[in-house]
Amino acid sequence: MTDSSGFDDRSENDSSTHRGQLEADGGEAGAPIDTEEARRRPYVESQVVMATVRLISPFVLTYGVFVTLHGADSPGGGFQGGVIMAATVVMLAFSFGIQPTREWVDDSALLGLVAGGVALFAVAILTPMAFDGAALELVVLESTTTVAVKWWVEMVEVAIGMMVAGVVVGLFFVISSGVFGTDEADREGDR
Amino acid sequence: MTLALELALIAFVVVTAVFAALLRDVLGSIAVFAAYSLGLAIIWVLLQAPDVALTEAAVGAGVMTFLFLLTIAKTTRPDTEKPLKQVDLKAFVVVAAVALLMLTTVPAMPEVGDPDAPPVSAEHPTGEQTPYSYYIENTYVQAGIENAVAGVLVVYRGFDTFGEAVVVFAAAVGVMVVLKREVLK
Repeated sequence: MTDSSGFDDRSENDSSTHRGQLEADGGEAGAPIDTEEARRRPYVESQVVMATVRLISPFVLTYGVFVTLHGADSPGGGFQGGVIMAATVVMLAFSFGIQPTREWVDDSALLGLVAGGVALFAVAILTPMAFDGAALELVVLESTTTVAVKWWVEMVEVAIGMMVAGVVVGLFFVISSGVFGTDEADREGDR
Repeated sequence: MTLALELALIAFVVVTAVFAALLRDVLGSIAVFAAYSLGLAIIWVLLQAPDVALTEAAVGAGVMTFLFLLTIAKTTRPDTEKPLKQVDLKAFVVVAAVALLMLTTVPAMPEVGDPDAPPVSAEHPTGEQTPYSYYIENTYVQAGIENAVAGVLVVYRGFDTFGEAVVVFAAAVGVMVVLKREVLK
């Protein structure tokens, strides 16, 4: 996704410093960003950070999925797993540039994740009522649907995980767009 | 061994907390705050609260650090030579008084791991079963879930959890709407 452009830009902008980048991105708020290249410039130009993140992010993501899916059997659950999964995206954004990552992650997909999580939780609330139980009485489902309660609990954990991951990544992007100024304003203006 | 580790961690957490408050350089302060959260997470593991530890490490040391970093991106570094802030004496007295007041409750707490401590004992003094022992005894039997924390959160207290989820959802949507509007101005 963004890695190749990240490395290319790095070699081109070798002379500028980390702090200079921060000031250039943040200081000229409101100033039009001219070129595609300038917008895609990663503001942390560290080979070490990029290489490390590239190496560990698949494992961190896997761990986040593990924590979410094993909420019923081991410590953790949807909330912790969701935050860890979101941390992968945040980590990528910090090492390869927030703007390219923002373009890579679809805004509506994030909102869909959040709304879908709430909807999936609602399914867990309503399903027992369809089987003559009270709302959220998941224990009823064990005998009627032959799906163990554990798996219904896992479904709720996944719902929470989706929601939390969407919220954390969305919050991160929204705050970053306020700080570094994005093309969001331009795009809205064009519509 | 464990005691030495605990004492070292507590000392680490206290020192990092003080430095997070006193450092003039906000960037340094954030880095120290992340270290503080990580130390706290390890303390939670030692106190056998792995769920809390995971949350502390992921949210406190992880995501919060990134959000703080974004927030300070527009600030400038102080150009003074002194790395630490001057302590405001009045504020210090107030904080110390509150801390002392809270510390007076510590002797009243049961020892760590005490089986007769009120929250974890099998029965209240009145003879009723405590919620703790009820969940420990029944979570696996009734729901087949090994992690009692998840069992309480979803099976027994699912409605509360749903309420929390909806609150987070509503708060996030509200923040995003407000911030987007600010960006577009």
